[in-house]
Amino acid sequence: MMDRRKQLPILHRKSRRPLWQSALLYAIVIFWCFIVLFPFYWLATTSVKRPIDVSRGPNYIPFIDFQPIPDHWEEMFGIQRESTERHFRNSLISAAGSTILSVIIGAMAGYGLSRFKYYWGRLGWDNDNIAFWIISQRFLPPAIFIVPFVLLYNAFHLIDTYGGLILAYTMFNIPFAVWIMRDFFNGLPVDLEESARVDGATRWQAFMRIVLPLSAPGLVAVAIFSFIFAWNEYLFALMLTNFNAITMPVLIAGQNNTRGIEWWFISALTLMAVVPVIIIGLLLERFITRGLTAGAVKG
Amino acid sequence: MPNSLTSSMSTVREDKIMKRVFLSPAVIILLTLSIFPLLWSLGISFTDMQRGGSTIARQAAAAGITDGVGFLGLGFELTSRNYERLLGDGRLHSTVRNTMIYVFVGVTIQYLIGLGLATVLNQPFRGRNIVRIIFLMPMMMTPVAAAYTGRMFFDSNPLRSPLADFLRDFGKLLGLERGISVPWFTDISWAPIAILIIDAWQWIPFMTLILLAGMQAIPEDIYEAARVDGANALEIFMRVTVPILLPISMTVILIRGLEIFKIIDVVVVTTGGGPGSATESLTLYIFEQALSNGNYGYASAIAYVLLILVIIFATLFLMAGRRLAGGGRE
Repeated sequence: MMDRRKQLPILHRKSRRPLWQSALLYAIVIFWCFIVLFPFYWLATTSVKRPIDVSRGPNYIPFIDFQPIPDHWEEMFGIQRESTERHFRNSLISAAGSTILSVIIGAMAGYGLSRFKYYWGRLGWDNDNIAFWIISQRFLPPAIFIVPFVLLYNAFHLIDTYGGLILAYTMFNIPFAVWIMRDFFNGLPVDLEESARVDGATRWQAFMRIVLPLSAPGLVAVAIFSFIFAWNEYLFALMLTNFNAITMPVLIAGQNNTRGIEWWFISALTLMAVVPVIIIGLLLERFITRGLTAGAVKG
Repeated sequence: MPNSLTSSMSTVREDKIMKRVFLSPAVIILLTLSIFPLLWSLGISFTDMQRGGSTIARQAAAAGITDGVGFLGLGFELTSRNYERLLGDGRLHSTVRNTMIYVFVGVTIQYLIGLGLATVLNQPFRGRNIVRIIFLMPMMMTPVAAAYTGRMFFDSNPLRSPLADFLRDFGKLLGLERGISVPWFTDISWAPIAILIIDAWQWIPFMTLILLAGMQAIPEDIYEAARVDGANALEIFMRVTVPILLPISMTVILIRGLEIFKIIDVVVVTTGGGPGSATESLTLYIFEQALSNGNYGYASAIAYVLLILVIIFATLFLMAGRRLAGGGRE
């Protein structure tokens, strides 16, 4: 890290880059930022357009091309308030619940795999095999779980409950959580724990009081990923809920059938579902980048 | 001294217990919610199980009927017919083909553009951190929302869609009388392209950010050495950057490939699988067989086809990766 920072001034030899290269660089960057940002802009403006402005457009600039109105947002928090709140709350509870569980279980297993030696005799598996088995679960096609989950959830009356969604999302999040946390603990020196244990702390106390506080960045990364996955998930939410526990993505996808396509209302609803995670993401950007690259860069 | 000896012995015993305590919750959840369903659906795939079948069988048993309640009175028969049916199911074949197109074309496009953008972002320039944050935004959007947004843009009516509006004006600029009009969701060859674009819009930034992190980990002296040897920028890119990025490239391609195998939300929201079954993905077909038609047995058999495709893809890919990596070392 330090080395690279020292090299930065060398990299900054701006004079060496010809003007046309700089122009090209900025052109590409600005073009791609436009590609990324314009759809968000379009959602935002559509959510304050009158229906006629949506279908007789396209109208680009508020106050010039069209007169913005707050009606759809008022509808969402007025007539539709009950529905909006319920679905938002459902998403929040199932995402938060599975996040908490994934972080706890993921940190524990990650710590175990990083600090102890396991050997599953019957399979002949050591730590690396176990870790690989755990991460491989993340890549199983969810379609294969459709039938057994419906049968299992019906048998245990978990359909349309928070518990059911939380359990399913926790299962999907654990592999990645274990992977990131193991990687994180591997990079954490054992000396501190050892000295704490010499001073009489139990393994659990050392884990709770010394290891976890030091691994806050890893925990935050795991929490963000788990939350975003659960918040955005569609297939299982659709399949395991029918009324009480329906989450935002299912509500949005359903707008197609129930009310005809009211783009202005869908846009407001979509922003409602997307903005919270984007804010979380933007605030905690450095943790995300770190988590994304945790497994990948080291190979 | 003896004190520390006993404490170290109790520590050993404690560790033996704690070792299990730490790993068990994760393993138990994966065994019950992943491995068990996996085996169960393998079993179901060899039956003709239908939705509600077991309820009917239970009612029949309660009424004292023993005929026609199936294997062990569970309401289904053991059969291998599902796997025979796979071979002649034309709709299944087109969903397999569509899924393969999404995976291979999707990953290729996303990787190439992602690599290009990462190369650009690897140059120092003002505002790079803000750009990196902007790049995170599409990934955090629920695919359902991205798909709706895509539907607004791929509407062919230039009165509604800014993209259609742009294409019309752009076409006129090129001298075409009516401009360019693309029948995105109504044409069987354009519809998959629209879906590929929506998925790419969401996930190119993912490729970019990871490849960028990989590039930034390459030490500057390697470039310096190449420059001293007289290599130009393109040669440096092809002979230094790309080979060094090979392992990380394999990882992101594998991750994205496996993710695209799961595609369903974008398809449901944009086309619902149509026109015909031109955009239907395997996951969507399995979902419909299981939950719309209630054919649990057949749905499970198709799900196993998908699983086998995924395993073949991952295995071939890892083998190719190992060979490439071995070749690079020479």
